[in-house]
Amino acid sequence: MDFFKKSLDPRIALVAIAFFDIFLFLILGAWTVGGGETMMTGLAAELIIGDKINEIPFWQIVFPPDFGYWKIYISLGMLFGAFVGAKLSNEFFWRFPGSLSEWVMITIGGLMMGIGIRLAFVCNVSTFFGLTPQLNLGGYLSMTGIIAGAWVGSHIYKKILKF
Amino acid sequence: MSVIGEILVAFLFGSVVGLLVQRSRFCNTAALRDAILFKTYRNTEALLLAMMVLTIGFTTFITFGQGHTMKFDVGLNQVIGLFIFGIGMVLAGACTVSTWVKSGEGNVGAIWALIFTFIGMFLFSLLWSFDYWPPAPIAMTGEPNLETLQLGFANAETLQEKTGIPAIFFGLIQFAVLLFIYLKIQAKKSLKTTGEG
Repeated sequence: MDFFKKSLDPRIALVAIAFFDIFLFLILGAWTVGGGETMMTGLAAELIIGDKINEIPFWQIVFPPDFGYWKIYISLGMLFGAFVGAKLSNEFFWRFPGSLSEWVMITIGGLMMGIGIRLAFVCNVSTFFGLTPQLNLGGYLSMTGIIAGAWVGSHIYKKILKF
Repeated sequence: MSVIGEILVAFLFGSVVGLLVQRSRFCNTAALRDAILFKTYRNTEALLLAMMVLTIGFTTFITFGQGHTMKFDVGLNQVIGLFIFGIGMVLAGACTVSTWVKSGEGNVGAIWALIFTFIGMFLFSLLWSFDYWPPAPIAMTGEPNLETLQLGFANAETLQEKTGIPAIFFGLIQFAVLLFIYLKIQAKKSLKTTGEG
């Protein structure tokens, strides 16, 4: 099938995703990733530290661990869909960061993404595909932050990779 | 809808998104980074088009009181949080979508980024448990509160309620702004092509 041979124009992919997102908005709520990731963090922490998680107020007040939280399954679905797409187009293979500086950048970047999402209550997906199209004030505040952050990040990236 | 129903719908939606993003190599990080560093807009254009469709779609349904909008107080924490996130996503080379999608393609760096996103969230949960900021959803009032640096809650629904003007009207204004940016990019691209030719 051609779909698995050639890469798809991202404009077509994103417009299709936007229509599905409108359906999701009508049924459950707009596409989001950060909330599901936070719940997964809580569930993983519960698995590792057991009842001690109850001593951390955040996991009692803001995100009590719950396997039934639908947003988790959006992320798991993305993992599954991407795996199927990669397998069927022969694009699945294990690849590793090439240098120590890449590992360090990914580690710091990952930590910053996690901290940033929780501080803001939103991630990039909710910003662009949920809040802003709902004309939510939070969307505009988040966009200001992410564009400024991406600008600073891009210049750090440029300096580190020296191009 | 039952919990199982919600899980199935969410999983199905995620699977379709994962497949489409994998096949198109769309990346939100690249949509911002490439526009800033390389002045290339392949992903930026896709992002703008999706936002245009969503703005019209969401505000049309909001006009008729349909859909599940996101409701929580917003404030300075969105700006600071997404600023930190924005730096992080460029350093990690992936956003929340591409970490999952690239992980599905066997990218160990993306799996590593995901693990550290989770660790970052856990570290933040410890910090939050000391200062309780930003306010938890149960403590949100919907009104501005300068003490907690919160501006309250406002979206297309509240705009419609307060002004009596249908939400789609405001949606069309935003659509026009997004379209303007999209056309500016197109003009820039054709200028570049002509210049090179």
